[in-house]
Amino acid sequence: MTENLISNVMIPEINREGGMPETAYLSTPYTVADRPESLDNKTVYLVDTGFGGSSKFMIQLQNWFTENMPKVKTVRRRKPGGPLMGFAPELWNEIKEKGDAAILGVAG
Amino acid sequence: MGIPTAPLSTYAFKEAAEIGFGDDTPFIYTKHPVVGSPDDVLMDYIKGEDPNTGKIVINEIIEALTKTPQKKEAASRQQSDTRKGFLDPDTEDNLQQLFYEKGWTDGLPVILPTQERVRRMLAGTSAFPDDVVSEPSPFNPVKVTVLDVARVAVMAGAGPEHFPVILAIAATGERAILGSTTPFACMVVVNGPIRNEIGINSGVGAFSPITMANSVIGRAWTLLGHATGGSRKKVTIWASQGNGISYNNLCIAENEERSVWEPFHVQKGFNAEESIVSIFRGWTFSHSMGAASLRSYSEEVAILLQAFSAFNASATIVMDPSAAKIVKENEGCNTKEDFSKLISEKTEMTADRFWKTDYVDFLTGPMADKGVEPYASWKKLQVDEKIKPFHDPEKINIIVTGGETGPYFKACDFAYVTSSSIDKWKAAADDVCTDGSCGLPDAPVDYD
Repeated sequence: MTENLISNVMIPEINREGGMPETAYLSTPYTVADRPESLDNKTVYLVDTGFGGSSKFMIQLQNWFTENMPKVKTVRRRKPGGPLMGFAPELWNEIKEKGDAAILGVAG
Repeated sequence: MGIPTAPLSTYAFKEAAEIGFGDDTPFIYTKHPVVGSPDDVLMDYIKGEDPNTGKIVINEIIEALTKTPQKKEAASRQQSDTRKGFLDPDTEDNLQQLFYEKGWTDGLPVILPTQERVRRMLAGTSAFPDDVVSEPSPFNPVKVTVLDVARVAVMAGAGPEHFPVILAIAATGERAILGSTTPFACMVVVNGPIRNEIGINSGVGAFSPITMANSVIGRAWTLLGHATGGSRKKVTIWASQGNGISYNNLCIAENEERSVWEPFHVQKGFNAEESIVSIFRGWTFSHSMGAASLRSYSEEVAILLQAFSAFNASATIVMDPSAAKIVKENEGCNTKEDFSKLISEKTEMTADRFWKTDYVDFLTGPMADKGVEPYASWKKLQVDEKIKPFHDPEKINIIVTGGETGPYFKACDFAYVTSSSIDKWKAAADDVCTDGSCGLPDAPVDYD
């Protein structure tokens, strides 16, 4: 026995008309900064995003630099304002003013 | 940022990193998980291989900071703006399978949204199919129309009488399932005359899977999220274990007739004769350990809340009417506000226990750092000093629901999110579309 065909079934998917709004993206267009040849005598900020485990990870990363690259100065900081959304202009300005590089992470 | 930067993520979040930042951002990935891993394991992650490239993570970090990365061309983020209409004719079984494979369902069979069924659903509102129900937002990046919601409402098994409630939920712009690794869940509470007009259960088994209105309204909200293309595993669904509550989002009505206290929507400033849906969100949901036979209800509630995260001091207590009556008579709580104050006062824990809770650490910790009280002061306490984590009684919501077969309650850390008018979506009595003038598109094919 042949099954009946059902017609006029509407597609339920809701299109993202015109694409996602720009605010849906955490990033904005960026340029790549120039790199130093070496991190010796540079200050590297280790920025903990605030997610569970991030602070402990950055402590271990700091330990690695202390043991293996002692000429690198590391500054460990937690991003204020929570991990999920939002920017931290004061911290970013401090890093730009006092730092030479930054490592951001890590979630999960 | 203007200086060399190395962004890190665990490999489990590769898709999220690429969705959030674009695949042109050179992420470095560690093994997973970071949270909960001991120090020596984290050091091994740093010294070990990036699961994405096979390179040593610390070498990649140093290279990222000292060598200019090649920026990849970002993939186009533009989505199709073509609003499709209909599927090709097929058998019931094939279409059910297609809906499942497309990620449009919760895994249970759906009512296929044929043109006729959707048209009947639209008769449940005076709104036009193209009317916008909610605008795009960062966490819900689609514009949702009445027609969009109607198709989903059909799929959930709803009838036109349920449609205004579903539209009111959709109008909040909130998603039933968030893109979090944590098991976020939601609760839907309906107040006002519509409860009885369409049979939303607020009595025996209100939370049980036995009542059509509760089941289909709650289910429709989850399916709406699926239809927006956002509810996909490892795209926006990240909950490691998930949450079964999301099947119907604890959809209930408040038992206003049997409650000794004022209805929730009246507490929020609405008129008692208005029909309102309120939504709540949190993680932890627990049933009472029987009745409060040997202790007071406030003590029983406090015992459960001590095991919750107390994020933002939020909690919601759902009392059976008989339990609420006992609280009023035995504990002197003439109002819900009185009971909230009592719970707030009786729930204590040490500062150490509070701050060592993961959610509190990463969500409340930043508030303390900003100087927000009482968290800033709590950060300075000795580890064994006591705090009252649910310090703000206004954030302890009380709902009355149940059939009085037992004086029980439920407690959860769900926060009140928002309320939405149902009445604005109801159909006028003489406003029923029967001739196609309600705006549905014509079917593209005629099929014998």
